[in-house]
Amino acid sequence: MSEPVKCPVCGKQAKTGSSIDCARHMFGTGDKKHRAWVEAQGLSFIDLLIEQATTPGNKSYVTLAEVIEKVQDKLPK
Amino acid sequence: MEKRELRLTVNGQEYELYINPKTLLVEVIRDHIGLTGTKRGCETVSCGACTVIIDDIAVKSCSILAVQAEGRQVRTVEGLEANGKLAPLQKSFLDHGSYQCGFCTPGMLMMSEAFLKENPTPTREEIKEGIEGNICRCTGYNSIVRAVEAVAKGDYKGE
Amino acid sequence: MTINKYSVINTHVHNVDGIAKVTGRATYTFDVKLPGMLYGKILRSPHPHAKILNIDYSKALQLPGVIGVVTGKDTLGVKQGIWRRFQDLCDEQMLTVEKVRYIGEPVAAVAALTEEIAEQALDLIDVEYEVLPSVFEPLDAIKKEAPEIHEGFERNINVTRHIEWGDVEAAFEEADYIREDWFKCGGQAHMCMETRAAVSSYTPDGKLTVYHSTQAPYYMQTLLAGVLGLKEGNIRVISHYVGGGFGGKFELDGAIFCSAVLSMKLYRPVKIVFTREEEFIATKRRTPMSYYVRTGVKKDGTFCAREAKVFTNGGAYTGMGATALYLTGFFHSFPYRWTGYRYDGYRVYTNTLPSSAMRGFGAPQAMWCSEQQIEWIAADLGLDPIEMRRKNAHYPGYEVPGQASIASCGIDQCFDVIQKWVKDKGKLPGNRAIGISAAGFMSGGIFNWFDTPYSFSSAVVTINYDGTVELYVGAQDIGQGSNTTLAIICAETLGVKIGDIKVHSGDTEHCPADLGAWGSRQTLMAGNAVKMAAEDAKKQLLEIAYAQSGFNIVYDLDIKNRWVHAIDRPERGYDYAELVQKAIRGKEGQRIVGRGYYTPHRKGMISPAYSYMLQGVEVEIDKETGKIKLVDSLTAHDCGQPINRLGLMGQLEGAFSMAAGYGYLEYMPYEDGKLMNPNLVDYKVIRATEMPEVSVAEIDTYEPEGPYGAKEAGEGLTNPTAAAISNAIFHALGVQMKECPIRPEMIVNALKEKETKEREKK
Repeated sequence: MSEPVKCPVCGKQAKTGSSIDCARHMFGTGDKKHRAWVEAQGLSFIDLLIEQATTPGNKSYVTLAEVIEKVQDKLPK
Repeated sequence: MEKRELRLTVNGQEYELYINPKTLLVEVIRDHIGLTGTKRGCETVSCGACTVIIDDIAVKSCSILAVQAEGRQVRTVEGLEANGKLAPLQKSFLDHGSYQCGFCTPGMLMMSEAFLKENPTPTREEIKEGIEGNICRCTGYNSIVRAVEAVAKGDYKGE
Repeated sequence: MTINKYSVINTHVHNVDGIAKVTGRATYTFDVKLPGMLYGKILRSPHPHAKILNIDYSKALQLPGVIGVVTGKDTLGVKQGIWRRFQDLCDEQMLTVEKVRYIGEPVAAVAALTEEIAEQALDLIDVEYEVLPSVFEPLDAIKKEAPEIHEGFERNINVTRHIEWGDVEAAFEEADYIREDWFKCGGQAHMCMETRAAVSSYTPDGKLTVYHSTQAPYYMQTLLAGVLGLKEGNIRVISHYVGGGFGGKFELDGAIFCSAVLSMKLYRPVKIVFTREEEFIATKRRTPMSYYVRTGVKKDGTFCAREAKVFTNGGAYTGMGATALYLTGFFHSFPYRWTGYRYDGYRVYTNTLPSSAMRGFGAPQAMWCSEQQIEWIAADLGLDPIEMRRKNAHYPGYEVPGQASIASCGIDQCFDVIQKWVKDKGKLPGNRAIGISAAGFMSGGIFNWFDTPYSFSSAVVTINYDGTVELYVGAQDIGQGSNTTLAIICAETLGVKIGDIKVHSGDTEHCPADLGAWGSRQTLMAGNAVKMAAEDAKKQLLEIAYAQSGFNIVYDLDIKNRWVHAIDRPERGYDYAELVQKAIRGKEGQRIVGRGYYTPHRKGMISPAYSYMLQGVEVEIDKETGKIKLVDSLTAHDCGQPINRLGLMGQLEGAFSMAAGYGYLEYMPYEDGKLMNPNLVDYKVIRATEMPEVSVAEIDTYEPEGPYGAKEAGEGLTNPTAAAISNAIFHALGVQMKECPIRPEMIVNALKEKETKEREKK
């Protein structure tokens, strides 16, 4: 089992430490820092949010979770 | 508009007033005479919070001019008790918890008082119809109906 | 039927404010008159969205009898909000400075010698607006081309809330049957009998006294300090009698704000009372919501997964909308166990009346959707709707993953009661049916987004030489009977009679801070504080009694019904009054003073305790007209230990009347941001003739976190009724109502559609 995922913006470990939980935390916080980070990854925070709200499934969370996982190696320990 | 004199009898007491003839009865009762038991909850004669009794008939006091009550007997909630002794309806309301915020209560009491005078042995349905013109947002009405029923049944006779 | 072991708790006790209320002596803010008082009126925006270019009130000042006018420029321009920990969400100026965001928003206020003159002066104020494009529905407001209502809130998304547990996708995989539905929940007006009212008096010593019809004097005191630049300690809020609140009166409103600003400018008392029309168009309302729900169950009815996506119409400002957004998502899972659950909620700004808190706080909307879909799933699968619910229900000790620990839970007994009731009813005539709905609610929230440093509830008990007791609480009685409930707890704990207690509340000068009457918190939280204070006072009395009695240390002393005695030898004792006299002398002439307080710690994400219920409503529908008649109802109700018996009955019947209104009466149609029925002729509130019998079966449980095992009653009861009524319509007519409140034409149309579909099949 891999190490718990940490938020690339505030370092928080969200709930179970899964990347999906981290994605949910980023959407839930929604503050300027978190949104800016999402935008910097080439994603549109608002469009992901609206997609999450208007379509069944978890696509937006999954999309963001994958990006969060990719940067885990680069985070300060 | 020219003001005029008005002699109004409220709860058996005659008041000498000097008012704008357009003044509503509820305004005279509350603001000129200073009896604030009677309330007001709307501008469209819809809620019954201002209900008083004029010559045994329940009237929404926001629906008539004060001058129209001249020469008649007006009764408000303050006139229900006698020398500190509560009227049967008041006691029944206390026993049945027929009020919560209490804002509609004076109007409900006066409506019920007039209703029972007109229909001393009502059915439950008739009581509900009797207070249909009075809105209560807190109680759901059933406790008020029970209180009126109890008085009609004679539970408070001779107290 | 358990025997009542208490002397005062759960006995027939008159409401302690009764005499004042039935004799017309109760003075509401509506009645307050101060010497030199002026009357204020508010000028309101006719536009849903516009910049304020200029306000010229010079002509108004010239009208004889006008004493002063204020606009946003007379204020500090503070953007305030009740979620003080989240400054982004503090977005409302009360007297707006730069732009208006809904029809009815205050732009200026006048103080004059009479109400009539103030009203006339409004017409003499010239406001130059630059009208901006406006948007009224959430799904329109999130479009790229929609106008920005608040700077910095992209796509007008005000706040989002997300709840999730379990592997939702995997849980859906396990399901044999999946159903998805879309629902629409309307708003609702609080429709308090006493409209918003405030009398503010600012004096040259820099002190502000405010009479306010409010649910939370402490909140008003603190919020006013923030927007007026005053110290909390220089503000006194008085609220002795309140003509109803229902969630609308614990935020700042135009009456308190404008009267305070006027008084601070003019150094005279200013009274502002809203008309009924203002009440409809300018006080916050229940949050309208659109729900998408997808639910997966096994064919035996076991719940697997649920996913909900919700948009709420936030209106122009945040208010308490963020809390409603969270609670609706939580209670949408309630009271069932889900392997996987996901809720994504989005609150969107629009140019309409702000939506905020109203009795039920998002839960009536949640149950409207959840309890109907569950009923349809049961019908689709041919399962018994009560047994299907029972199989998935919470139980004592259950943990809602990451959200709540359930201690007491009587839902299972609720199913038994309603099942029997339905069975006993037997077969009903053709156009009548019974609908059921489960529900529950929190007993106060654990959250401190208000950012108070004080305990959530506090109480002080003082005992006088004659044995009478002063009980000081910050908890506010708004008609729900908290003064009585807390007096009962105090009397029971101290061992005296209810008549010995005098309750002091509704005055920040003399009462301790308390978060106030909302979120169903006062019985549990203030009740615990009162119990602690009374126990403190009793302990001080009993110390003296021990010293006097010379009993062996193994004996315990107690006071019950004013009788001080050894618990094992109750016949040996003496009068409480005697003990009080001795105790005061023994304490150098000092009154006995007991203190108590309560703040929930480590109680999950929402609440220390939850009420549970199952409600059945028998409904008759006229197929021709679509008119609904409520025939009968029974609610099996778990509120832990009932404290105030008369109060509880009142809460049950009252909640039913309000919830039924949400189900089929209280429609609020808007056109281009304008409410079409802002009066009591066209806005339908239930009348005495429409109320059915509202019976209750109290389920006996004990909540360890509550005083004497008590938890909330009165707000939870607002949650099930709309869904229950609609479920009855489903069973009677076979139509599914997705939108509330249900209007008669909706039923008629649904029947027509059903007929057409059936004909097409053939």
